[in-house]
Amino acid sequence: MLDPSLFWEYRVVLLKGLGQNLSIFAESAVLAGATAVIVGVAHLSRSRAVQWAATGYTEFFRNTPEYVLLVWVYFVLPLIISRMVGFRFRFDAHTAAVIGLGMAYSGFMAETVRAGLRSVPPGQTEAAISIGMSSLATFRRIVLPQAIRRMLPELVNQLVSLFKSTTIVSLITVQDIMYQVSMISIEELRPVPLYTGAALLYCTVIIVVTQTFHRVTERWRSRGWS
Amino acid sequence: MTENFNRFVVANLGALFSGLWVTVEVCLCAFLLALVLGAVVCFIRLRVPYLKVLAISYVEFFRATPILVQLLWVNYVWPAVFGFPQTVTEAGILALALQSSGYLAETFRSGLEGMPKGQREAALAIGMSRWRTAWRIELPQIALVVAPVVINQFAVVVKSSTLVSVIAITDLMYEGLKIVNQWYEPIEVLTTIALTYFAVIFAVSTAANYAYVHFQTKFGIVMQR
Repeated sequence: MLDPSLFWEYRVVLLKGLGQNLSIFAESAVLAGATAVIVGVAHLSRSRAVQWAATGYTEFFRNTPEYVLLVWVYFVLPLIISRMVGFRFRFDAHTAAVIGLGMAYSGFMAETVRAGLRSVPPGQTEAAISIGMSSLATFRRIVLPQAIRRMLPELVNQLVSLFKSTTIVSLITVQDIMYQVSMISIEELRPVPLYTGAALLYCTVIIVVTQTFHRVTERWRSRGWS
Repeated sequence: MTENFNRFVVANLGALFSGLWVTVEVCLCAFLLALVLGAVVCFIRLRVPYLKVLAISYVEFFRATPILVQLLWVNYVWPAVFGFPQTVTEAGILALALQSSGYLAETFRSGLEGMPKGQREAALAIGMSRWRTAWRIELPQIALVVAPVVINQFAVVVKSSTLVSVIAITDLMYEGLKIVNQWYEPIEVLTTIALTYFAVIFAVSTAANYAYVHFQTKFGIVMQR
């Protein structure tokens, strides 16, 4: 059922595929994180319109399947942009994957950021402002360190599912591990060891990464940040 | 825009609706199977000492593998090794069910373990039989506590079900991509599909939220999410 030599034979291609997975993961995590902070802060804005916009954004991206978003960003978004700017605009599959996954997960993360910021008691902010800290300094020095500690476990879960979701980028022809595995299995006509190997590989990597993440963030949480 | 919408979406409504119907069928079958499998695995994990390790690795394996990998694995490997599933539809349903059953088993377990012991002891003390205690005292409370999480899991199943189009199950996504590949006019069709999926999943997760808030206020019990 499992034949390691097959994996060894194709190690270069597979490692390149893993590289694609990791780079898409890193880039879309940054995109999602940045967007999530903006949307999460917008949730707590005093303006009703901004609040509604943030809620709409979060709900839309939380409740739309990643695959649909990915396909939409890859096929539809360039066409819409082309029509708007008036010339043919395209981006490659890698960029589309990063934007699609980044948007999808920014919805989940915005919710986490919002809950985290909400969990800091208002008295903290009031105290900081009353001793004369500026609102930016209050946010950065008082609210954020406390909020981050509460957000971390949930954030780690979301990063893990983001990594799991990077497998679907193979469907818009990004040459990641799953793409390579499909190609090799077409070439070799031996799907059984290849797909079993891929499943076991992902399972091991994700369990190890999850455990490490949890260990590290646990230490952070107990020791404090900033 | 409207012209294209009429040409590609309205003209193909039949195909899109049949796709939506397949999506609904696949999701419901997978979810029911997942509930059964999840309950069985949870029972094994808590009550069958020798098979406990097996249940834990089952849960961990299916929770830690991406759904696409599992889908392809079940579709290409299982027929050769185990002799089933025979059709792509069965493979899709099975893969979705296996993934969800891992999560559901954990949900059921936390529901069971979160039950205060006093409830059971009180029921036994006033002379209810074991079965009656389980059926009348424990089960209703656990069901209420896990309901929001279970409904949310259904939303996850619908989300993941978009991927079954990859193994050629003719669901909504498959029908949509077929129209796109035929005419090379993706804007209207794909946007319609995205909004349809959003509407369905939003409805399910709103129901889950409603259950969460409603049960919390009405029965005063709730599980950590």
